[in-house]
Amino acid sequence: MSVATQGERGVARIRSESWRPALVSLLALLILAATTEIVLDGAAGRSPLIPKSPPIASWLRGIGERLGYRVFLIAILVFAGAYALMLLLTRGQRGAVISKRWAIVLIAALHAIVFAGPILISTDIFSYIAYARMGVEHGLNPYLHGPVAISRDPVFQYVGHDWRHVATAYGPLYTLFSYPFAPLGVTGALWGMKVVAQLASVGMLVLTWRCAEKRHLNPAWAILAVGANPLYVIYGLGGAHNDLLMLLLMMAAVSLTLAGRDAAAGAVVVGGALVKATVAALLPFMILSRRRLAPILGALGALALGALLAYLAFGVHGLDVVSALNRDAAFVSTDSFAAELAHLFGKPGVFPVDHDLLKAALVLIALHLMWRTWRGYDWVAASGWTLLAISVTSTWLLAWYILWPLPLAVVTRDRRLLLATLAVQALFIVHQTSPLFAPVQ
Amino acid sequence: MSDAPTPAHHDRFSGLPAWLRPRARELPGSGRLRLIETTLLALLGLLLAIATVNDVARQTHINHRLIADLATWRAYTGHRYHNLSIEQELFGPASQHEVVCGNTSPGAPKARTQLCLVVYGSLSGGRRTVHGGWYLPPKVEDVRADRYGCFGVASRGMCPR
Repeated sequence: MSVATQGERGVARIRSESWRPALVSLLALLILAATTEIVLDGAAGRSPLIPKSPPIASWLRGIGERLGYRVFLIAILVFAGAYALMLLLTRGQRGAVISKRWAIVLIAALHAIVFAGPILISTDIFSYIAYARMGVEHGLNPYLHGPVAISRDPVFQYVGHDWRHVATAYGPLYTLFSYPFAPLGVTGALWGMKVVAQLASVGMLVLTWRCAEKRHLNPAWAILAVGANPLYVIYGLGGAHNDLLMLLLMMAAVSLTLAGRDAAAGAVVVGGALVKATVAALLPFMILSRRRLAPILGALGALALGALLAYLAFGVHGLDVVSALNRDAAFVSTDSFAAELAHLFGKPGVFPVDHDLLKAALVLIALHLMWRTWRGYDWVAASGWTLLAISVTSTWLLAWYILWPLPLAVVTRDRRLLLATLAVQALFIVHQTSPLFAPVQ
Repeated sequence: MSDAPTPAHHDRFSGLPAWLRPRARELPGSGRLRLIETTLLALLGLLLAIATVNDVARQTHINHRLIADLATWRAYTGHRYHNLSIEQELFGPASQHEVVCGNTSPGAPKARTQLCLVVYGSLSGGRRTVHGGWYLPPKVEDVRADRYGCFGVASRGMCPR
């Protein structure tokens, strides 16, 4: 009786499992369809979701219709739903449902679709180009002036209104890295930066794969969780954000630490922070976990070199990253959880005292995580929690900020980090949906 | 899970009390700390979820008001234009007073003389009440110096003369 029952259960399980690959393939098709819809409609022309841009995707014009909030939100919701279900169905399956090749093909297709299309959602890439052109074409220091100083330059018309008077807050390494793109013209620089975003993404995913393998986690699942993430594909890759370059250096540091190359890892974290300062959050956890001099020496060496380069290129203003960060930390976006909580408690918005409270909360969280790391908790997970805490407590929250902890979350065994990161991303997407219920036209 | 431990740890930190000494790996323990952390995370997640849903409902409510404001401008002027702009900050976002601006004749956004209407009051039949307004020359943003022909509540100091 019991043997027969077990046998029947086994057959039933195999039958129930047999649809799993088919369903996962269907979900992958939905993800591809949603991305294609956004890109093709985005290429169709004027849309509030597509920044004004040189016509880089005009060859796709005529296929889709003008991208409105309704179609965009439905596509994002379909994408997010399919992604979540796909992760659930393939979780813990070591190659049974998703082969390495399958995961790579899906991610490569998503990259190709986004690469072919227009810049999505954000004008940031035009700020990158404007700062580069300020330095190279106009001899102006981008740490002293906003793009308004080059208002006759062809890139100026594409820079977001909010950023026209704002000097760069990006690290000096990134600013120097962007300089060779300036002589290419606006369209050439745009394509160049799109290529950089794609290469940074591929490099980061390769490193994520390696780190997952070293930590005996399923690498195909790990890169699927990052490379097929809706916010990563549409907002991160779609906007060709320099956060991808920062994430590449972040995962390079993790990979180097796993290979026992602590000095190089410390240096690379500082290199990442000279692209975008946020990644510096990894350093205390790395040092506390390794308890060696090597990462400190590596970090100090890179910092000295970076500071010298920044000083030579931009003077003392290139070194003053802290004031730029303080300036940006005072901004408030409607998507920030701080603004949402203020509204929940009946306040019209975020006040200076709220900034102080949020900073205090962030410090407490970081101190707790440092203590845990000292007592043996995984430093990669602690770094991921800190990056997540930075984005949740920030009053200036953008979709690509919630991507920061994602690659770290997929290479740790503390699954709470991945769950929390995806939950925060889901809330971000839900927060966008009001035009679905009441479209203002 | 943790990366390769450094053998020198124990010697270097052996002078510290046991509770302060670093560990290469966490002790299994009773799981109490993890439980506390997870509970706090769940509570925080719940708070953020409530705040998010509340904000979506709030924004939807605002959108309904803005839709009514656009309909009010179209009904008042008799023009079915789509490129209208809404200013929510002039009277403060909490005031629920909006300024809706649009062209007085067909053309690109802000390419013609613009009529701006001050709209507030309760919603009735998908519209609100126009309490005043002003005109703007073509191709300018709504700044006080460029306003003229103020009427209704706007005649009390919204125009320069």
